Amino acid sequence: MRILPGLSLVLWLSAAALIAQPATQFAKANQEYAAGDFKAAITDYEELVRSAADTPNLFYNLGNAYFRKKDFGHAILNYERALALDPRHPEAQANLRLARDEARALELLPNRWEQGLTFADSNQFAISAGIAFWLGVFGIAFFVFNRRRIALALAILAILISGYSIFALSELEHGKNGGGLAIVTKDNSEARIATADTANRVLVLPAGSEIQIASRRGDWIYATLPNNLRGWLPANSAEPVRM
Amino acid sequence: MSIDRKSLTIGFAVIASTWASTAFAASPSVTAVLSDSQPAVGQMVQLEIKVSGAQSASVPDTIPIDGLEVHQTGTSRQFEMHNFDVTSSVTYAYTILPLRAGQFKIPPQTIRVGNTSLKTPELALNVAQGQSGGASASKPGTQSGQASVGSKLAFADLVIAKKEAYVGEMIPAEIRLGFDARARGRLQDGPDLSAQGFTTQKLQQPRENLETIGGRTYQVYTFKTALSAVRPGKFELGPVTAKASIVMPRRPSTSPRTRPRSPLDLFNLDDPFSDPFFSDPFGSMSMGERAEVPIKSESVSLNIKPLPPNAPPNFSGAVGNFTMTSDAKPKTVQVGDPITVTSTITGRGNFDRMSAPALEDERGWHKYPPSSKFKQDDDVGISGEKTFEMVLAPNEKKNAIPPLVFSYFDPVKENYATLRSDAIPITVEGNAPPSQNTAAVPPASATVGITPSPAPKPADILYQMNALGAPKSFTPIYRRAVFWIAQLGPLLLLLAFIGWKIRQRKSGDRERQRILAREQEMSRLLRELRRGDISPQVYFSNAARVVNLKTALARNVNPNSVDPETVATTFDLDEEERVRLQRLLARSDELSYSGGGNGSDKISRDEREEVLNFVESLRV
Repeated sequence: MRILPGLSLVLWLSAAALIAQPATQFAKANQEYAAGDFKAAITDYEELVRSAADTPNLFYNLGNAYFRKKDFGHAILNYERALALDPRHPEAQANLRLARDEARALELLPNRWEQGLTFADSNQFAISAGIAFWLGVFGIAFFVFNRRRIALALAILAILISGYSIFALSELEHGKNGGGLAIVTKDNSEARIATADTANRVLVLPAGSEIQIASRRGDWIYATLPNNLRGWLPANSAEPVRM
Repeated sequence: MSIDRKSLTIGFAVIASTWASTAFAASPSVTAVLSDSQPAVGQMVQLEIKVSGAQSASVPDTIPIDGLEVHQTGTSRQFEMHNFDVTSSVTYAYTILPLRAGQFKIPPQTIRVGNTSLKTPELALNVAQGQSGGASASKPGTQSGQASVGSKLAFADLVIAKKEAYVGEMIPAEIRLGFDARARGRLQDGPDLSAQGFTTQKLQQPRENLETIGGRTYQVYTFKTALSAVRPGKFELGPVTAKASIVMPRRPSTSPRTRPRSPLDLFNLDDPFSDPFFSDPFGSMSMGERAEVPIKSESVSLNIKPLPPNAPPNFSGAVGNFTMTSDAKPKTVQVGDPITVTSTITGRGNFDRMSAPALEDERGWHKYPPSSKFKQDDDVGISGEKTFEMVLAPNEKKNAIPPLVFSYFDPVKENYATLRSDAIPITVEGNAPPSQNTAAVPPASATVGITPSPAPKPADILYQMNALGAPKSFTPIYRRAVFWIAQLGPLLLLLAFIGWKIRQRKSGDRERQRILAREQEMSRLLRELRRGDISPQVYFSNAARVVNLKTALARNVNPNSVDPETVATTFDLDEEERVRLQRLLARSDELSYSGGGNGSDKISRDEREEVLNFVESLRV
């Protein structure tokens, strides 16, 4: 029984050390960045990413390190990742704009539905769809048992809101910033009409350009390109934003 | 067996109309291709006019051109089916015999397909003096070819249009494999062309026709290709090799073999077709056997010349004869907006080595790498048009896109040529570059929207973040387990609400059943009171019970707990009615407790009516 307090202390200290480790490594990478050692900073930031410490600030700082190394493809990729985790990250938005201008990267155009759905992100639409759905179901149940017309009206309204939210969620998930979004990391990557290096080119993409992955076949990905065409690219020429 | 003939006919009609509609749904188009655009005097050139999307067309038999003899020689039809999409085309072949040297133009020919008139493109033919071309290896049509082929069951020819060419120049070539028509030759392997130092186009599907060579009929398969030398020097092209199976007769076992025979002298005779096997085609069906034989052509010598020095700076290796057109869209943009510049190179040459035209002056422009697509007009990709799309973005105000320049080497004129397009006028507005770069969309697609910059562009990237922050997930919330587990909360709440409501409804039903039972009892008792054929004891007991039931129903209480005061209050009885109620209840008690024998057996009519009136008059 005497060893129990000691063991608890050891466990507590270990847990504290584990929690503190990413923060320490993050601070170390920041110091390396400040000292101009961008390569070392990138290595440390990447190690943190591999340890699944996915935070918007980590991807943002990593994007900055790549920007300093003039690797605009990876810089844009990491800014996009920061924004995928926190769509309202103002610093990532500003730096992404700058990196795109530097790289002359091509962007996918949002469709007209997506353009009107910028007031919320897909998580917010998912939550509102869930809440509105249950309000609608409760409203219908109340109407069935109590025959109150106001309950039916509210139920219909809630179901409509739920349907709209599901539609918006679907549009956002399948749209420009959806699950298929990827960033071209190799400069002048060539999209071709078939999975062969000798096939005709559809478009040449500067690093940092956005594509939307439709399917994969071996070492090739089939993607929607910024000019609304589709083409095959080598799988190692682009990385998906969502990890 | 009864076959519904009408259904069968309709079925065939539907299939036929579907096939016909798919076969001819596409609007017809026409292309015209020369087998060689630079022949020598006396050297035969083939002109093919191909009408796609039609089964037949009306074409001229001859084309009158001074200095050329043009005659139609044949027609072939092709059907192709891909995923039930049937396409048809018809090809009209002409031979052109140049009678003198010079530059000739074959004018556009009018081709009628049904009610549609189509025109072939104008073709140029540069005829050189002397017999320079026509390097064919043992061509069956020639004297030497006849000699070598006349006694063979199968032969292979490599027909090259030129003896001399430049590095990179496309050289049309034909591989001809012929089988004696009676030997029913079948190609097993190949043909393979040995062409070191050359790039060769993929062999196309062969054209099949019958030719008479040296009095014998051959089934000839013609494969088309094109070659391009990668370095200068003297080369031996070929031989072409292939393997085929042909039918040959079984020799009687009694016939002794006196000398070995070559694979192409199958019957130990100078002329294999003198064998009786061939004079008895039906007999050959039973006597013949298939054998695999190799086929090999002669080699062809080719002299490949290097391209001359002093190539233009933007020369990228294009060899041939080309023209160029260009266009740009849109023509009014902001500074930094993308403009798609389309340039089309048309002609005959090595399109695979062709690079996009260059901007004469790139200053003030940001240029994206171009994309290209090629549409070939012939089988082997020597003639056609290559379209380049290049996205340009002006970095400053401009009033025109600079001319595009494209250089190539012309093997006929033996010098370099540079095509230069006109400057394309455009309007560039504004000064600040936009925030977004979007690729120009092809004209058929939706328009490109440029979102104005929501905030001024910072001069440099912003600072590093010092706080790591809380980890987040890339997985959308609706794909996480916690989201769906959270739905169990309202689901359980809903089930609880529904259960509660159902239970409430069930208890309400029991109350209603109780009330109904009391109403039914009251109705039954009233009916008995009205009939009056019951004893006074029962009559008054029933009357008192009806009063209690009425009160219980009005107040929703147990009828057994009703007392006279409750009845009086419930029905707001006056003094006289209270007395009548008391009397009724007292009489009922009296008869109940004193037994049936006390008093009369029957109730008087007046008394009965008084009681009945009183009971019926009780209303809330």
